[in-house]
Amino acid sequence: MLGRILAWVATIVIGLALGAGSAWWALQAGHGGFMQHMGQWSWSRETGSTGAGPYTRAVIARDGLLALSADEALYLNLDHDENNKALREDCVYELAGGSIPARWWSITLYAPDNYLAQNNDAAYSIDSTHIDADTPWTARIAPVRGEAAHWISSRAARRGYSLTLRAYNADEGFPADASVLPTLRTISCPDTAP
Amino acid sequence: MSEARTYVVAGLLIAIATHFAIVFGIPRVMMHGAFDRVSAHSAHTNEWNEAPRVTAASRTIVRPSPDLHYDACAYDLSHGPVVMRVAAWPNYWSLSLFADNSDNFYVLDDREAHEGAEVTLIRAGHEHPKDAARVVESPSDRGIALVRRLAPTQSDWDAAHTASAHDVCAVLH
Repeated sequence: MLGRILAWVATIVIGLALGAGSAWWALQAGHGGFMQHMGQWSWSRETGSTGAGPYTRAVIARDGLLALSADEALYLNLDHDENNKALREDCVYELAGGSIPARWWSITLYAPDNYLAQNNDAAYSIDSTHIDADTPWTARIAPVRGEAAHWISSRAARRGYSLTLRAYNADEGFPADASVLPTLRTISCPDTAP
Repeated sequence: MSEARTYVVAGLLIAIATHFAIVFGIPRVMMHGAFDRVSAHSAHTNEWNEAPRVTAASRTIVRPSPDLHYDACAYDLSHGPVVMRVAAWPNYWSLSLFADNSDNFYVLDDREAHEGAEVTLIRAGHEHPKDAARVVESPSDRGIALVRRLAPTQSDWDAAHTASAHDVCAVLH
């Protein structure tokens, strides 16, 4: 009798573990399955959509709850440098862009926990109200501003942070090609020759 | 069926049920948590709750924009339709509605409503109130309404704070 009880307990525990593990794996591995990619950026048009599938909806709820649907705003993410390495607080990057075809856009840095980095630099983002959007522009992504005209502070962002480009009321079909998206390049890293 | 096979089948059924319970449950659990935070544990439903200006200390909703002013209303239609009014704002603003499964089922912005807007929210399938100009059907009794106003500077944010004082989120009487 005791053996049968233990067998049922083991069956339930293993079943729960398998179910939870497979769900976690599906949401991690499946994250890339519904994303679109262009240049260094990736995004999903299913964000907020009433037509999103259950896996997409779960990932968006976890990583971007209350995000607007793609008809209103597109959220594009960048989390690797030009060498496909994770972004690091101790590196200095330059973001270069030009005109982005949207009524308003911003680029914000988020720490790996999906919140703003824990610093008091008040340099969380850049946005089109502060940049001459019709001419080429650059922004420094680094723990200190230096001489940069535009700066997003990565202080306390640790390793694995990301940048989110919000494009509100973007032109239809945005992004048409990679040329309308900013590009990131590494200026220096402690273990990389300048 | 042998006893061993019974355990294997039972284990697989439990695994499948757990898998789908988690996948389908995550959006509702996340929304329930957000509803709780916005409404202070349901003490402030059907009213706008202004979020403080977004800083590194902001932890209510993931990935907040520091360039926007946010007002959130945790709506509950169990007592009837809810009317939402949004005062005009000279720059980008939007009213977005999210069902309890996190779907963004409605958005209205300043391109369509330059002078501000009034929306009457009802449960899907219920009778539309008379004289309500813009009626929106919610797929769930509970959800979250969010007003975003573009406010990248402190002075913009202060102005948005003043404008938002005229916003309304209340049960329709």
